[in-house]
Amino acid sequence: MNPGARLVIFLCALVITAPAAWRVMHSMPTFGAATSGYADTVNTLAPPLRHVSNMVAAVNFDIRGFDTLGEETMLLCAVVGAVMLLRGSRGEQEGDEAGLLAGRADIARSDATTLACRVGSTALLLFGTYVVLHGTVTPGGGFQGGVIASSALLLLYLGEGYRCWRDLIHSTVLAALEGIGALVFVAAAAWPLAQGHPALDNLLPLGKLKDLYSGGVIFLLNGAVGLAVTGSFGQLILEFLEETRSPEDESEPNEADT
Amino acid sequence: MKPLVITVLLLTALTGLLVVLSRDPARQVFALAANGLMLGVLFFVLQAPDVAYSEIAVGTAVTPLLYLATLAALRINKKHP
Repeated sequence: MNPGARLVIFLCALVITAPAAWRVMHSMPTFGAATSGYADTVNTLAPPLRHVSNMVAAVNFDIRGFDTLGEETMLLCAVVGAVMLLRGSRGEQEGDEAGLLAGRADIARSDATTLACRVGSTALLLFGTYVVLHGTVTPGGGFQGGVIASSALLLLYLGEGYRCWRDLIHSTVLAALEGIGALVFVAAAAWPLAQGHPALDNLLPLGKLKDLYSGGVIFLLNGAVGLAVTGSFGQLILEFLEETRSPEDESEPNEADT
Repeated sequence: MKPLVITVLLLTALTGLLVVLSRDPARQVFALAANGLMLGVLFFVLQAPDVAYSEIAVGTAVTPLLYLATLAALRINKKHP
């Protein structure tokens, strides 16, 4: 297609969509406006009906829980796709060492780095777990805590180096976390259905407002998403870092380069 | 608008500009991480700590790492197409 035709199509699209975009932009709340009608409704209804003080968790895992089920499945599919793509072309065998660019010195880590990374990754893992567990009470939740917990793996890699890291992190464990999380979510959606209620209906005891256990199914789904996200992101990090290990066929000469 | 919000907004724009202007991919990754961090701070300043957590973890740690790993893999395996 030549640039002229593209420009014509672009201008047509602009003429059609611009009024709609203009209208949407002008009916949006002003910058920094702290409340909206939906937020007010949720703020009023969620604490007495669901016993949770983090409204984001109430929206994500109960009021619009079905959307989160879709997102959860989408994350699972995306990670499975990435793993299949990368592992499919690389194979399942493990290398012994991290790859190193030709001519770059292999400098050993100092003890201070290793110690700092061990302390840091433990603290991150604990903090991630805390964020997941307190998802119904304080800001945070399954996704946030899961991502924080899986970024602890990065610090571990930084401190321990490839070989030791690879011995510590098992892909099967991460896959199990991911699968169990997704399964719990689907089960929580299907269980009320089997009993003749709407999907994801909150049938568990609601607990006390501002308690660690509060919100019934919200607490459960929070944990499930935490597990699934930790597993998914861990798996993703593992697959990408596996790509950087040194190639097996190091000695094999390559005619194309000479 | 509070001065703090304006400052953080400007810093977000500045780091975003750095991402666009840096031509070396390895430098760009760190500019991207800085941009992620500033976005996280912006969300925090705008009282959305939930989103700030995800943005800081995903935008500052995970995404730059995936890019760095990809760049490293490309350079290490250059001889093995």
